[in-house]
Amino acid sequence: MSRFLFPRWSNALLPLLAVVGGITPLYVVFFVAYGFSPKTLEVGYQPKQPVPFSHALHAGELGMDCRYCHNTVERANHAAIPATQTCMNCHTLVKPESPKLEQVQASYENGMPIEWIKIHHVADYAYFSHQAHVNRGVGCVSCHGRIDQMEEVYQSKPLSMGWCLECHRNPEPNLRPVDEITNMSWGLALGLQGEELKAEKTRLAEQRAEVLNLYHINPSENCSTCHR
Amino acid sequence: MECRVDDHKVTTESKTTEPAGRTSSSLSPSLKGRELWRSLEDLAQTEGFADFSEREFQEGAQVLEGDDRRHFMKIMGAGFALAGLGAASCRRLPETKIAPYAQRPADRDPGVAVEYASACEIGGSATPVLVKSYDGRPIYLRGNGANPGLTSNACGSMVQGTVLQLYDPQRLRVLTRKAADSDWARFSAWMKDRVAGHQDGSGMAVLSGASSGPSMERVKARFSTTLPKAAWAEWEPINDDSVLSGTRTAFGSPHQVVPQIEEADIIVSLDADFLGTGSNSTNNGHHWAQRRRLAGKPEDATMSRVYQFESMLSVTGMAADERVALRSGSIPELASAMLARLSGTGSGSTAIEKRLSSAVNRTFAGPDGKDVDLTDLEVFEEAMKDLESHRGSCLVLAGAGQPPEVHAAVALINQRLGNAGKTVSYRPISERSASRLEAITSLTQAMNAGSIKTLFIFDSNPCYDAPADLEFAKALAKVDEVVFVGTHSSETSVSPSVTWVVPGAHYLESWGDTRAFDGTITLVQPLIYPMVDTSQGGRSMLELMAMMVDMTPDTGLEIVRETSAERKGAADDYAFERAWRKALSRGFEPDTQFELSAPKVDQSKVMAALNALPAVDESAVELTICHDSKVYDGRFSNVGWMQELPDPVSKLTWDNALYLGPQLASDNELSHGDMVTMSTGDGSIDTVVMVMPGMAENSCSMTIGYGRGAEAGVIADGAGFNLYPLRTSKAMHLRKVSLKKTGDTYPLATTQDHGIYGSLDPTVPEEGIQQRLPTIVREGSLEMYRENPSFNKSTAHIAHSLSLWEETNLDGAKFRWAMSIDLTTCIGCSECVVACQAENNIPVVGKDQVIRGREMHWLRIDRYFKGGTASRPDQVVAQPVCCVHCENAPCEQVCPVAATVHDKDGLNVMVYNRCIGTRYCSNNCPYKVRRFNWFDYQRREPVREQEGLFAVKPQYYTSQGPNEWRRMQFNPDVTVRSRGVMEKCSFCAQNIAAAKIKYKNEWARAGGGATGKDWTIPDGAIKCACEEACSTGAISFGDLNDPKSRVSKAFASARTYDLLGELNTKPRLKYLTRVTNPMSDRAIYVKGHHGHGHGHGDHDSHGHDHGHDHGHDHDHDHDHDHDHDHGASSSHSSAASDVENIKEASS
Repeated sequence: MSRFLFPRWSNALLPLLAVVGGITPLYVVFFVAYGFSPKTLEVGYQPKQPVPFSHALHAGELGMDCRYCHNTVERANHAAIPATQTCMNCHTLVKPESPKLEQVQASYENGMPIEWIKIHHVADYAYFSHQAHVNRGVGCVSCHGRIDQMEEVYQSKPLSMGWCLECHRNPEPNLRPVDEITNMSWGLALGLQGEELKAEKTRLAEQRAEVLNLYHINPSENCSTCHR
Repeated sequence: MECRVDDHKVTTESKTTEPAGRTSSSLSPSLKGRELWRSLEDLAQTEGFADFSEREFQEGAQVLEGDDRRHFMKIMGAGFALAGLGAASCRRLPETKIAPYAQRPADRDPGVAVEYASACEIGGSATPVLVKSYDGRPIYLRGNGANPGLTSNACGSMVQGTVLQLYDPQRLRVLTRKAADSDWARFSAWMKDRVAGHQDGSGMAVLSGASSGPSMERVKARFSTTLPKAAWAEWEPINDDSVLSGTRTAFGSPHQVVPQIEEADIIVSLDADFLGTGSNSTNNGHHWAQRRRLAGKPEDATMSRVYQFESMLSVTGMAADERVALRSGSIPELASAMLARLSGTGSGSTAIEKRLSSAVNRTFAGPDGKDVDLTDLEVFEEAMKDLESHRGSCLVLAGAGQPPEVHAAVALINQRLGNAGKTVSYRPISERSASRLEAITSLTQAMNAGSIKTLFIFDSNPCYDAPADLEFAKALAKVDEVVFVGTHSSETSVSPSVTWVVPGAHYLESWGDTRAFDGTITLVQPLIYPMVDTSQGGRSMLELMAMMVDMTPDTGLEIVRETSAERKGAADDYAFERAWRKALSRGFEPDTQFELSAPKVDQSKVMAALNALPAVDESAVELTICHDSKVYDGRFSNVGWMQELPDPVSKLTWDNALYLGPQLASDNELSHGDMVTMSTGDGSIDTVVMVMPGMAENSCSMTIGYGRGAEAGVIADGAGFNLYPLRTSKAMHLRKVSLKKTGDTYPLATTQDHGIYGSLDPTVPEEGIQQRLPTIVREGSLEMYRENPSFNKSTAHIAHSLSLWEETNLDGAKFRWAMSIDLTTCIGCSECVVACQAENNIPVVGKDQVIRGREMHWLRIDRYFKGGTASRPDQVVAQPVCCVHCENAPCEQVCPVAATVHDKDGLNVMVYNRCIGTRYCSNNCPYKVRRFNWFDYQRREPVREQEGLFAVKPQYYTSQGPNEWRRMQFNPDVTVRSRGVMEKCSFCAQNIAAAKIKYKNEWARAGGGATGKDWTIPDGAIKCACEEACSTGAISFGDLNDPKSRVSKAFASARTYDLLGELNTKPRLKYLTRVTNPMSDRAIYVKGHHGHGHGHGDHDSHGHDHGHDHGHDHDHDHDHDHDHDHGASSSHSSAASDVENIKEASS
């Protein structure tokens, strides 16, 4: 029996093998690091909701305060999805015949909930508290993005642990006066230039520092702060 | 005090090669020398035990059962393939839905737990509770301390277990008619017709559990008018028949005994386990502890004293200052002797006194080095002296298992001592409910006579728990129609004679009212809609009975409201509504307590009854039939928490056993785990033997409520042995038995040696461990404490306080959380263990896993026997141990992934999501408090028998699985851990976080820093589950930065000590030394050690100094270099050299 020998032409494949062998591990590393990152997987998640509710219309155009519907945000860990009753407070009079409201009306009549699809998902072993943040000057927009411009809500921030810690390590850029919590556009106005811009920046920085001092803000980086 | 180790040799015959968990039957009953021991194996130092204590995990803990290596590789291969699929699914989490309310009730915030007042009635007496409800799911109970019927926020472990019972997947769900499916409509129509057919009720009977509520009283009253000929029997296998009969003899009518434990300086208990299984024990514990706390100046410290005469070691016996192991059958004689002595006619030479005088209670070294025995008689005489010198402020109690004559005698004794109306009062009980036994006996007779055609059974299980001689099941066959209503399937519900099985409602699902122990009317309100489909039943007994007697309205709420309205008289609607709502929110109607009285005892009748008692045959083996502290009469036997809870005394889980003393065991050649046939004149059962220290001679003991079959559910199935066949109407509590070894053995899952502190190094001899143990559980007498409050310091000598690694810097922390456990008031009742389990989502692992040492309880209660012999330990000490949150934590140093780290507030934090399961931390934990999830315990049934590694049922608690209800109990504030993760006590970190958010928000809303003050959390605002569940208030948690907090004060107490402080772990959980109050003039510490006791004064300051002196130049080798000549060291004077002083101080 003769031994098997690779044919001579296969020698040409050797450099190719070396290149592939060198690149693959790198590719895997980058694939895992970026491909599995919440920035890739989570940001932009925009499921279709059962009711075509427009935050852009309600919170943006009409300027309704977030807390009209999400009214438990200041006193509970969860910013509860409003009850159907809340919708019907207005919609018994406003556009009661709109076909988009059919599900809402049905829910109101038969008492069964509208099943909304959860967008902002924090792992089960991490405990986030809305009331702990909004009462101390962290605004809605910091975590949820410009909800007032979203026709359909999507996740705009990764909500990953590293992202949380960024702010816990340096909270000041995300602080604002407590009465501006729900104001999506609070902050640096567009179109400022030169001295005006500088003055505005200083003013905002002062306001942020004031909040930091007022509420003794010193966010904890301890594991037990979020994991129990 | 610990220097009695004079004869320090381990007997050679006890060095057997028995594995751990087996006791050698050759245990010498005269073993001496061990100061502290946890089990008979420990005492005898079997090799198996030595092996056991040196192991980090138990033998077999890391062995794959039922799977060889090849099988393992096969399964692992499959696992890797699945892991590949898993990686493919490593994408966004599956879609989750949010279902908001359609109309949210006012003041209801989703995700915020609310508490409602309700009550749990067991055996006709209610425990008022506050039910924590999370989005409509009741998940946790605590006592409603605002109710006058409950003195603390402790509700007891059985009551806590009812939450899990609510979600028991094996609850009855389907209404059946002769084993075929039916429904509520058909049943209710049938019932109407059937009841109407009976006209005046003749031929009809109701059998139910006891209930005490005013609404039930109304229904009963109506029942007796609309169906005058019908019978209504209330049966409870655990009852006060004997007490009521005894008080009938004494007072002429039955009375319930209401002791005021907090008023008594001296308590003599005759077989009464008033702190453990006795009725009203949570209140008793609270009251007992009021007189045991050492709060004021040490020199003025006072304490009550408890003398316990009992046959089997009980929780009360563990806590008692003086304990005499005495056969239950001899208690009547003892009561007679007490009466004789009180009336001055006592001769001191009655048979019982002679026997007492021959029994050695304790032995200690006399001043001349010779042993001095203290006899039981001397203890008894001391008790009598104490009673006579505390007239009006002492108390004599008798156990519910004692015959009526004893209760009559005790009533007379208390009257003679002037206690009636002061430390004990009475409450009249109607004749109708005075005898449960009579009720079921006459019902069974009527059934046998064929005069009962229709029988309704509510929340009762007579086929299992009725006296055996009544042969209830046979009588049941003679009834045409039997309706069973109950929440759980049982021996009765599966009886072929039962024609209707109707799923009932749990108390957490129904309206009702009931009475607390003191009589306060307590309202029961539903926390959840019945889990059972209402087309299949799900009605409470109140509603069903109201339907039967045609009451209108017939809904639970309306009935209870109407009862309330009737009681309050015809106020206007508005006033009533206000009062009703207030009562409902508080959970009770104030000023509705029973009236107490102190009627006069008919002496001649009592004496006549007592003298008529037959003499006891001392040579026969007596069996005391006890009720279980976990499953009660068997009704909680399908509750996993209860089965897995180690018995407070025996530390046995998942089974009951026949407890007997080492002497009786060796007489019958029995040892731990042997099967035995126990026979009486009229029957016999096979059961398993567990050898227990502290049993009276020729006395054995067993609890009822076990040995149930598959009909009771998977958890109850196969747990223990059924004792009911030996319980007859003539012998409900005590009987003569004979024992015969069968030759079989049975595995018992006891946790008594789990978490033992072995030697650090196998080369350190046993004596080294003995030196260490007294530093672990420190205790002493009240006298020692008065003389020198820091006497405990003399037991430990801390050599160095140097750290091997850089210590965690906790400077500048806003809070320094800490816990203190007072061993003086801890009785070891284990209520805290169950509360912790409920609060922290701790899984139930099953008997097989407990045997392997894999129980998951974050909090374990170590029980140490102290001194004495195997039969008669001098003392028993309970010590709860959970994570002590070392500031200098050894576990943190070895975790390769930093999954266990410190937070700034001093908590040793376990980060589940980081843990990769190396178990290094557990290996390095000197306290052995870390628990590893060997399996996904929440997703499988608790495994009773070994059945292979992969018995995991991934669907177990999911919505499709067989146990979809189980997960409803989970506390959403605590992560549910999965396989491969280490866990341990977190000091209820979820409560700490919630309090921080709450109080900082309140401060921020008030203006934050503008208020000029920083935010604080008031002391007591954060309660750990264990602390809340502790009826004696032994546990306190708080902030050390607050000098006024309870825990700061406790830490400042002279009694405080660090567990294993010599390791320099700097625990945040410290213990307060146990102080007991043994009899004064002949106390062990004084009689034999008088000179020695004073000597301690010198050592104390010395030892204390050393504890804080890091750099002294003393030669520490002496710590391990004892010559064990304790006889000499115990008599050396205070003038001895420094070195000798230290030697003694550390022994």
